Amino acid sequence: MAVFLTWLRGSGWMWILLVGLIAFPFVVGAATDSSPFGVARGDRMIMRGDSVRWQAVFIEVYILAILAMSYNLLFGFTGVISFGHALFFGASGYVLGLMLEYTPLDTPLALALGVVAAIAVCGLLGLLVGVVTLRLKGVYFTIFTLAVAEMAFIFFGRWQVTRAEDGFAITDLPLWLDPSQNRLSFYYVALALAVLTFLFIRRLVNSPTGAVFKAIRENEDRAQAMGYNTINYKLLSICLAGMLAGVAGILQVILNKKVGPELLGVAYTVDPLLMTIIGGIGTFTGPIIGAGGLHFLDVFLRDAQFTLGDTVVNVANIWGLLLGVIFILVVIVFPFGVVGTWQRWRARVKVMRGK
Amino acid sequence: MLSAQRSSLIAIVVIFLGLVGVAYSNASSLGGFGITVLSGLFQGMLLFLVASGLSIIFGLMDVLNLAQGSYFMVGAYVAYDAQHIGGLIDLTNAIPDPNLRFVVAVLAAVMVGALLGYLLERGLLRPLYSRPIFQLVLTFGVSLVALELVKFIWTTTPYSWTELFGVRESFFELFGQRFSTYRLFVVGMGVALIVAIALLLQRTRIGIIIRAGVEDREMVQALGINVRAVFTLVFTLGCAVAAFGGAIAAPFLGASTTLGNVFLLQAIAVVVLGGMGSYTGTAVSSVLVGLAISVAQDAAIGTSFAALPSITPMLLLVLVLLVRPSGLFGNSRT
Repeated sequence: MAVFLTWLRGSGWMWILLVGLIAFPFVVGAATDSSPFGVARGDRMIMRGDSVRWQAVFIEVYILAILAMSYNLLFGFTGVISFGHALFFGASGYVLGLMLEYTPLDTPLALALGVVAAIAVCGLLGLLVGVVTLRLKGVYFTIFTLAVAEMAFIFFGRWQVTRAEDGFAITDLPLWLDPSQNRLSFYYVALALAVLTFLFIRRLVNSPTGAVFKAIRENEDRAQAMGYNTINYKLLSICLAGMLAGVAGILQVILNKKVGPELLGVAYTVDPLLMTIIGGIGTFTGPIIGAGGLHFLDVFLRDAQFTLGDTVVNVANIWGLLLGVIFILVVIVFPFGVVGTWQRWRARVKVMRGK
Repeated sequence: MLSAQRSSLIAIVVIFLGLVGVAYSNASSLGGFGITVLSGLFQGMLLFLVASGLSIIFGLMDVLNLAQGSYFMVGAYVAYDAQHIGGLIDLTNAIPDPNLRFVVAVLAAVMVGALLGYLLERGLLRPLYSRPIFQLVLTFGVSLVALELVKFIWTTTPYSWTELFGVRESFFELFGQRFSTYRLFVVGMGVALIVAIALLLQRTRIGIIIRAGVEDREMVQALGINVRAVFTLVFTLGCAVAAFGGAIAAPFLGASTTLGNVFLLQAIAVVVLGGMGSYTGTAVSSVLVGLAISVAQDAAIGTSFAALPSITPMLLLVLVLLVRPSGLFGNSRT
């Protein structure tokens, strides 16, 4: 029993969670008597039923978790704060969309090339923004990313080639990945990528390179004085974070089967920032908890209403306002987030026991 | 140091002449050229009203106020609301004269801006001076809340200014082309403010304290001056000036929810271009960026690059940053 508890406290709960998430579509399917594959109509599948509906919710959580984890690599572990993470998210979406819809290539080839190109473009974008701004200290990088992302948002909102504000639909997907035909397999793809991202970031941060990242976060001058070329390390961190955000962008585009300027919108910068802070800056599990918590809150509150005096207020209409208020409150009174506060509390308990 | 000054001067002259040259070669007539330049100055002055607060606040307090654009937007909405029939506060019966009502509307916008600025600094930023990154994150959050509140109060439908008054409806003629007097009025207001703020900074005691604070905050504190009180004053003033900008821009641009972001981003480009914390730099680069946008708008007409004007400030910024990383008037310390 004691052995089991130690295992549970160490890495066991993660294994249990993983098995739970893998079984999830079937569990919900069995509980609500709906097929995890959707309903067959002729040779096509219709995505109807509780199981497939919940799969979509969880896929969204995985996407946001990847985005938040990539944000945390930059903000939480390297101490570089970007206000333009949506740039990477949207850019990779657009590259993949253009590859699939605007080139005459076969679908599987276009998909493979699109994924590679999208991630490469994200890395390059990170490199470019970094090279221009990292020679300067302070807030230059932050505001530059904000400005570049917003400009990209405005530009793609008016660019006629990609149908401006309307964006364009993705019709050309291989059947096994198509979330409106075969959502279950896409669910596992998204889950696998989220797990891989988590493992990759944990491995990276615990490596010597990650130690330099953390040294830069704590005191960049000192890291430089020790002989590390901090700019190169920061560039590496930005590139990797950009590429991981690109992975999230690819998944989002495939899930919605649509590319539009909203992918570059400020929401996809605010979400990972807020999820990282709520979950715990500079912790491995924090961004995932933040992503799950915030997205579930969004899903559950979307249809809720309450009465204020005589008027009925739809939560969906004031969701942005609520998010902003949560944002400000968290920054002021809850800066370490769920995981950070938990870790501090545990450390304090340990100290007290030791005495 | 001298050569650095000279090179930035050369850069400014080159950019300026280049922009005017492009404007001239694109214009079909002298009148068209005049419109491009005047519209450039107009936009430059509006940018200055947002950027000046951003620049001084950053120079003094090391806080980049990402909510500055929201104050511009709120200013525009308050001015619109006070001027028109059927707003939240209907002044049309109390003050029937539209000219006078416009003055009241602008004053109301400035007061709302100042009050909100005071509240933000006192209530939310104060506790965070020991955590600078969180200040940045906080102002970002405030800008989101401001946007949502504006959407909640005034809905997302953009308003265009319908109530005309003296300066807004008259025109004058130059080179056989009609110009709106209102643009000239805004340019005049902008120049007046540039001079007024410069005088405040150069000739008054509070200005000396602000400039000393930009140089060395701890030293000013050590001399027995309450720097925190100066922070509050400067922050309030900066927000009031941004709201003023929104109020006098509204008769031309209307009031819409996109104003805040658009002006914040362009103002950021202006501030970085001019060199962070430098007042002269901000004033000069406001005019440069305004002209550049106007030239790009002119060039984009009839082509497929309709989005060109909106990315012009960034393009200019990237070019200048590659040559001079600390901006036109920035010192090498930053």
